[in-house]
Amino acid sequence: MSAVAVVALAGSGLLAAGGLAALRARLLGAALSLQVAGISLLGGSGAAVVLGAAPVGSGFTGAVEPTFGIDGLSGFFLASLALVAVPALVFAHGYLPGSAGASAVAALTAAFIGSLAGVVAARDIISFLGFWELMTLVPAAAILVSHREERARRTVFVYLAVTHLGGVGVWVAMLALARYGAFADPGALGQDAQLLVALAALVGFGTKAGLMPFHSWLPRAHPVAPSHVSALMSGMMIKVALYGLVRVSFEWLPEPTLWLGLVLLGLGLLSSLGGVLYALVQHDLKRLLAFHSIENVGIIALGLGASLLFAHEGEALWASVAFAAALLHTLNHAVFKALLFLGAGAFDRAVHELDLDRLGGLLRRMPWTGAAFAVGAAAIAGLPPLNGFASEWLTLQTLLHLAGLGSLGIGVAGGLATAGLGATVALAVYCFVKVVGLVLLGPPRSREVAEAVEAPLSMRAAVVFLAGLCVLLGVLPGLLLPRLAGLAPDGASLPTHGGLELPGTGALPAPALAVTLILLTGALLLARGRRAAAPAPAWACGQLVEPALSWTSAGFTKPLRLMLEAVLRPERTVTARIEGGVVQEIAYEGEVPHLFDTKLYRPVVRIASAGAAQARRLQSGSLRAYVLYLLALVLALLVLVRTGALG
Amino acid sequence: MSGATAVAGAVQIVGGIALAPLLPGLVQSFKARLQGRRGASPGQPYRELRRLWGKSAVAVEGTTVLYRLAPAVVAAALATGVLLVPVGGRAPDWPVGADALVLIGLLTLARFTVTLAAWDTGSGFALMGAGRDLAYSVFVEGLLLLALVLAALPGGSTDLRALSDAAGGSDRWGEPAHWCALLAFGLVVLAETGRQPIDNPDTHLELTMIHEGPLLEYAGRDLAYLQWAAAARHWIVLVLGAELFLPHGGSFWVRLATLAVALPALCAALAVTETWQAKMRILRVPRFLAAGAGIALLGLVSWYLGGGA
Repeated sequence: MSAVAVVALAGSGLLAAGGLAALRARLLGAALSLQVAGISLLGGSGAAVVLGAAPVGSGFTGAVEPTFGIDGLSGFFLASLALVAVPALVFAHGYLPGSAGASAVAALTAAFIGSLAGVVAARDIISFLGFWELMTLVPAAAILVSHREERARRTVFVYLAVTHLGGVGVWVAMLALARYGAFADPGALGQDAQLLVALAALVGFGTKAGLMPFHSWLPRAHPVAPSHVSALMSGMMIKVALYGLVRVSFEWLPEPTLWLGLVLLGLGLLSSLGGVLYALVQHDLKRLLAFHSIENVGIIALGLGASLLFAHEGEALWASVAFAAALLHTLNHAVFKALLFLGAGAFDRAVHELDLDRLGGLLRRMPWTGAAFAVGAAAIAGLPPLNGFASEWLTLQTLLHLAGLGSLGIGVAGGLATAGLGATVALAVYCFVKVVGLVLLGPPRSREVAEAVEAPLSMRAAVVFLAGLCVLLGVLPGLLLPRLAGLAPDGASLPTHGGLELPGTGALPAPALAVTLILLTGALLLARGRRAAAPAPAWACGQLVEPALSWTSAGFTKPLRLMLEAVLRPERTVTARIEGGVVQEIAYEGEVPHLFDTKLYRPVVRIASAGAAQARRLQSGSLRAYVLYLLALVLALLVLVRTGALG
Repeated sequence: MSGATAVAGAVQIVGGIALAPLLPGLVQSFKARLQGRRGASPGQPYRELRRLWGKSAVAVEGTTVLYRLAPAVVAAALATGVLLVPVGGRAPDWPVGADALVLIGLLTLARFTVTLAAWDTGSGFALMGAGRDLAYSVFVEGLLLLALVLAALPGGSTDLRALSDAAGGSDRWGEPAHWCALLAFGLVVLAETGRQPIDNPDTHLELTMIHEGPLLEYAGRDLAYLQWAAAARHWIVLVLGAELFLPHGGSFWVRLATLAVALPALCAALAVTETWQAKMRILRVPRFLAAGAGIALLGLVSWYLGGGA
């Protein structure tokens, strides 16, 4: 057994021990530490394989005995999982004690991390599907343990219903692949079976990944989970679903299909634009972050779709660059989204409030958490020189080169996707200017916020570590690029640089860019001199700026809401109480309904309920009726046999 | 490094940093002439910068460190951006590269910082301008990227020097795609420089400010940095417009001379648009920019129908 396998086994053992130990409330701290050690070892073994150690275990089989292994792709996802899970667990050290069901949540966290690792390390269909189901069920349990109110139960129901209905696709795709023996020999899959597998995988994995229009569960479930579980769900769970999609569409389908690439591009565009647009009009911080996960899954899907199209056109270099772009964004999004969710958890713990319009000025009260959160926000907004910019730059480059690939259909698709991603990035900037402004800057908007205290050390350490990762991955993305490009099928070999240097681009020399920006800023600050600035209140035409009159989330995004009225269909009601011709009171209520829910899901649910009501008539509950059904069935079968219809 | 490249590097720095304020000055001076006024001389922005440099800054009460940091970050982002923009199709191999998308990223960084500073002051006027600026930027970025897609079609690269070379000569003018790209980029120039019909740089009414809004609270050297940054934005988009979309060709020296003519001509064109167009209603701007995007897409289609020459 190789060293990597031993390390991975030891890691799994420690993780399991950490999960069991958490059941004793006294041992909570030790249990979390054990879990940290376990997932670190697992992630380390994955990273070793990505960096060149020999893969562990065999290839994927359709057999029934449990088999596990780590190859490059699994290794990458394991390492990313560790990078998110370690800070999430450290954060839980400070976050969990004192919250509802702390030890149960800690044990479930271990189970959740274990099931995520299990899906990416599974090498047989039964383990894969088993861990897949666990990965869905465990966070539901964590939500139910930590929230006992009716609304949370309802949310969990929707989450389980949607992911299980969609999850049928995963079962169909995997069982079909096993049935045709396509894990070993993709060529065994016929044309029709290919179509079935691809469609089923798109629906199944797409639902779990939160791709629009299958995303309805995501913005409901992610906000109600405990913050470190939200970080794992948004950071890794939806990525593990993408892992499945990558396996199916790049490995187990015989050749890159044009339509699948175009569909992925289309779904990616819809998810990225739709996700960020709905994120912009949210005013609950965690719900807003959940919508951003849809956006980022969309960006990853754009990279994957582009990779398939390049491969279809025989452009091996760009196919692997696009693949690497998707993987790099997977890692980057995992890091900054975990950071933002953990930061939101810290704010929630400090002020018991996540409504954007009731926070404000937290940068002064919580400098460490606040500054780390601001770094995460700048990273997700795609600003140089942070990690979000590096992967979005890479994705944009691939889409832009897709537009010049040489055929009208792909060219126009590439052009539209490029413009769409550009608009997405601008929308993300808009959204996170709003978030940082409302949460961290300006005056505090309530007494509780004005008296907030900084989070405990473990919570601070977790977010600062992740902020450091955002900077590191942003400044040195080029160290990873050749490794990730090598993971693509027919992976091209690229030279290693600190920044990103590719033919057909002007290069993104991220280290030099960061140094230049910092030096120039420093020089300009020096040139400005130390002359004291005169204190003055903000100009409001001579009026006093009162907290009650301060700008709100809805106010800041109003221009865009008006410009896109036709798409977003915002609703508002203004009720004025007038007595004796004098206005006494005006109430304003505005909302942007989620059109996917009202226009797509609700009719489907209504039809399904109506169908169920019809079907229920058959289920009278009377024994005589059921005996009658049986008799009728036997008779019908006999008639069919007699007439020769059954052969 | 050849002599021509060294000269190009010098022009980049001297032009981008020292000559940039001349561009908005020229526009204002042309505009005054067109409107029958005598107006200020093109050197007026320099006088304003000198005046601001001597005044003390203002620290708005209740702001964080970000408020005073923002002007330096914005100016640094623009100064880095200046290095990316080639002149005469040349630029030395600066360590920051020469990529078009990096340039867009730097401009976005500047916008992010300015609008955050608006939140830091909490001033309603600043935030109104910031919100509108960000809302426009959604459409502008999409359009800008489409123009870039069109510009990158013949050369297949986003290196700004390669883009400039690919756009040289007279062949490109026979392709509808180039004309469409020119038009789309023209709209981007109007939006990025904050000119009519999209924004009115001369307004003194807080409620109508867009780009000026977030600068409302600044004074002294902070404001000097931000005003220089606005001028550098003019330099970047106008030089790019001339290098990528206007006729040019021949040796480096000829191209440099062409640029020297093209920049005042573009300023004059801006002055003419500003005189002839009134500011648009805010809600009409997206439609205006979307029309540009439609034209750019037509250009893309025409490129492929024409056989992708």
